Amino acid sequence: MTKKAIWVIDDDPIYQIIINKIIQRSEMFSIVTTFKNGKEAIDALHDTVHHKLDTTEILPDIILLDINMPIMDGWEFMEKMGLIKSKFSKPITVYIVSSSIAAEDKNKSKTYTDILGYLSKPVTINDLVLIASND
Amino acid sequence: MDNKKYPKFIRWFLDRPKTTGFITFIFLSYVAGFIVSQQYQLIKEGEQREMNNTLRIVNQNIEQSLKNCYTTTLTLALTINDLGIPENFDDVGKKLMESNTNINAVQLVPNGVIKYIYPIKGNEAAINLNILASPYLKEEALKSVSSQKMYFAGPLKLRQGGMGIVGRFPVFRNNKFWGFSAVIIKLDNLLKSSGINTVDDSKYYFQFSKKNTTTKKEIFYLPNKTDFSEKYNISTIIPDGDWKLYLISKHPNYFYAQILIPAIIGFILAALFGILIYTLLKIPEELQFLVNTQATKLLNSEIKFKTIFDQASVGIALVDASSGTYIEINKQYCNMLGYTSQEMREQNFQLVTNSNGVSNKERKDKKIIPENSGVKQYRTKSGKIVWANLTVTPLLETSARPSTNIIIAEDITLQKETDEIIKKSEIRFKSLFEDSPIPLWEEDFSKVKNYLEELNLIHKDSKEVLLYLNEHPDVVKECISLVKVIDVNNVCLKLHEVKSKKELIAGLDQIISKESIDGFTKQLIAITQGEKQLITDSTIKNSFGQYRDVNLRWNVIRGYEKTLERIIVSTEDITDRKSSENLILKSQQRVESLINTIDGIVWECDAKTFAFNFISQKSEKILGYTSEEWLASKTFWADHIHPEDKEWTMNYCALKTKGNLNHDFEYRMIAKNGAVVWLRDIVNVISENGQAFSLRGIMIDITKTKEAEKDLNDSFNLVTEQNKRLLNFSYIVSHNLRSHTSNIASIMSLIESSESEEEKDEMIQLLKSVSNSLNETMVHLNEVINIRANIGLVSESLNLQQYLDTVQKVLSEQITSKDVSISTIMPENVMINYNPAYLESILYNIISNSIRYSHPERKPIIVIQWIEENDTKVLQISDNGIGIDLVKNADKIFGMYKTFSTNSDSKGIGLFITKNQIDAMGGNITVESKPNIGTTFKIYIQ
Repeated sequence: MTKKAIWVIDDDPIYQIIINKIIQRSEMFSIVTTFKNGKEAIDALHDTVHHKLDTTEILPDIILLDINMPIMDGWEFMEKMGLIKSKFSKPITVYIVSSSIAAEDKNKSKTYTDILGYLSKPVTINDLVLIASND
Repeated sequence: MDNKKYPKFIRWFLDRPKTTGFITFIFLSYVAGFIVSQQYQLIKEGEQREMNNTLRIVNQNIEQSLKNCYTTTLTLALTINDLGIPENFDDVGKKLMESNTNINAVQLVPNGVIKYIYPIKGNEAAINLNILASPYLKEEALKSVSSQKMYFAGPLKLRQGGMGIVGRFPVFRNNKFWGFSAVIIKLDNLLKSSGINTVDDSKYYFQFSKKNTTTKKEIFYLPNKTDFSEKYNISTIIPDGDWKLYLISKHPNYFYAQILIPAIIGFILAALFGILIYTLLKIPEELQFLVNTQATKLLNSEIKFKTIFDQASVGIALVDASSGTYIEINKQYCNMLGYTSQEMREQNFQLVTNSNGVSNKERKDKKIIPENSGVKQYRTKSGKIVWANLTVTPLLETSARPSTNIIIAEDITLQKETDEIIKKSEIRFKSLFEDSPIPLWEEDFSKVKNYLEELNLIHKDSKEVLLYLNEHPDVVKECISLVKVIDVNNVCLKLHEVKSKKELIAGLDQIISKESIDGFTKQLIAITQGEKQLITDSTIKNSFGQYRDVNLRWNVIRGYEKTLERIIVSTEDITDRKSSENLILKSQQRVESLINTIDGIVWECDAKTFAFNFISQKSEKILGYTSEEWLASKTFWADHIHPEDKEWTMNYCALKTKGNLNHDFEYRMIAKNGAVVWLRDIVNVISENGQAFSLRGIMIDITKTKEAEKDLNDSFNLVTEQNKRLLNFSYIVSHNLRSHTSNIASIMSLIESSESEEEKDEMIQLLKSVSNSLNETMVHLNEVINIRANIGLVSESLNLQQYLDTVQKVLSEQITSKDVSISTIMPENVMINYNPAYLESILYNIISNSIRYSHPERKPIIVIQWIEENDTKVLQISDNGIGIDLVKNADKIFGMYKTFSTNSDSKGIGLFITKNQIDAMGGNITVESKPNIGTTFKIYIQ
């Protein structure tokens, strides 16, 4: 089984450090890329698509997405990604990772077909293993 | 003009009197001129002839004298002998002189030298004059020598004195010039012998001339040498002396004078004749014009009379007196009898006259046409009887029996019929009067009127009369007795409960009781005011002593207005009606009082126009308008609905009314004092034959309910808002705390599973920073909770400017480094009631935000303004910074931990706290912003 590429989009710097550690520990992913907010991530996707880079290599397989972020939040990111996803060379699976336990957010996440799951923080190594192997 | 009887050519002249007159004048002038010129010619010829005769005679005389001289000279020459010497010169001379008295002297001039003269006496001066040597005489002398003929020289000045002519006869001897035999004739003598002097010198005069042979100039010898070339003259030449004899007319214009007067007379005559012709021709034209005018007038009057005749409303006919046939008949006459005018002409006057209408006397007299005028009966074509008032007027001289009559027939059938009708209506009236269900009185008030007149009460002021009558009951009593009852009807008997009319007719004083006097007084006042009618309610007492209410109607019969001889009085018994009326009135009052006690405006209006016809008194209490004010305007209701409600209210009401649906709705109206009044209007549609006819309803004042409803709504909104905020807050709390706790949990598990000490230390460091963040969050939350709980919230009166200055001082480092310009536009010493800490915090947060998010490409400008918006104080802070996309972030801008920029300083707490602080002070904050242009915050201060 080939290791997958993973993107983490979250504005919490501490969380970013922690998730990086956890991802490493899980040993399920080849590449980890982090973004501070939705805008940075969507810009990266745009670049990939427009410059016709070797998309399969650069594009992630999985995105861990926070909801509350400055500049561009998780929902807006989903909208923007929906506009350009047809140009992706492979399917990208999105998981919401939020400290929010509000049912409202959970329900909203179900309206997006690209969102495969909703994870509440804290994320454990087991969660990641499941995600990685869930195909 | 009618000149058709003349040929065209003449008519042309007759039609043009001026031209014709002028032509006549020209023609006559020409004729006169011609005659005058002929006359002139004749006179001239006679004159010439006379002059020629005269001249010829004179000429002959002269020639005669000269011939004599010729003889004389010849004789004298014969005296010359062969030697050339004259013999017996003196004797011969003497004899010659005696025989020819004209000659003044005779001469013999051998070789041009005058040697012999007879008589010598007086002629001595001429002896020995050599004429051939004298230049004065030489030429003429030589002329006779060369022509060898006798030639008369001169007239010339004689040596011996005076003017004379010298006839020289050249004498040749043996063909050799010897000399001259000459005679001298004094010019005077010559002329005398010529007979010039005997000629009438009033008309003519002579002139005698000779052409100078050398100068060719004509020399005149007689007096009157004036130039006569202009004058009429004739002349003859006497060759013996190369003389020219003129006979000159003394009056050069003599002829003209002779013809001038006839010419003028002729001209004047011509002119007069021309005028005469013109006038004569003009007369028929004027006459024609006069005739035309008169004819038009005649025609007009004929039309007028014809029209009058035809259109007259009375029948007019011209009838032959003897036969009775109609000669002329007008339309009305025909109409009256129903015949056409043609048919009438064929009718005899008598035929159409109904026999009934002709008096016996007339029938006996067999008079065809009635001589007297009067009422006659006619039978029309259709057999109807027509009554006519006839006026017969003979149309001829008075003496003779008239041949034609003018008949004027006035249709009086209607009048007759009216009389009949009146008769019938009188009967009808009588029966009506008798059988009327209402008691009727026929009364005579004439005496009353006279009495009132005597008292001088007529036309006095009604109040004055009333006062007088009240003060003088005896006058009233007298009046009562003066009323004469003529008749009463049957019902009257019943009303008064009497058995016979007599009791009533006997007099009013028997009937009128104390109670009826009021009604009677009113009648008296009506009489004084000249009124013809009076309607009043009165009371009578019948014979049983019962009181009855009556409606008294007092009417003067037409035609008796002055005398008041006939008055009809009706006294309708209204006792029963009155009592039922009272009943109705009471129940009405009851209903009305009930309506007025209802706490709502009871109303009724027209279903189509919404014009109100009833409004209960509550209107004044609820809206301030009295029901009169409301009913005064047809559109009162529509005009006083709240402008925001008017359209839908009217539409709704119209829609429901159309559908005949009772309805119940709420709207606002504007009260008289301007207040808004909420009304609930419960409407009943009253329909007739399925059509909405009128609306009735009640308007209930629900303003208080509405206000309570509003209060309730407001507090509900407030609670909802607070609830939302609370929810938001709890969400924030849970989210923020959870993010930290989840981090802690993650770190803990990482520590547990870490294999190296190094890693553990790293995690512990991480844990520390999480702890710090958590603490910070706790502080923030605490702050927010404090704000919300209003703990330690004290408001003071603060100087706004002072606080602005303080904040700027705190931020001075940033302001300097970014070169920010802050301008303040507000009045001095603006004081606001605020919590000092909050005010500082709010100003700090907003201004520091403006500086932090300034646009990197331009100098930051912040404008702080103090404005008033709808009586609310507003502090407005505007910047020209990077702005916020409000389309995306409108609901987030004042949320906790919401940041909109990549700026690492942004924590997303400042505006959240600011908003909470402003809310806690009872104010509000709004934001307007455009990306890249700037942001404006408005802080509403209570």
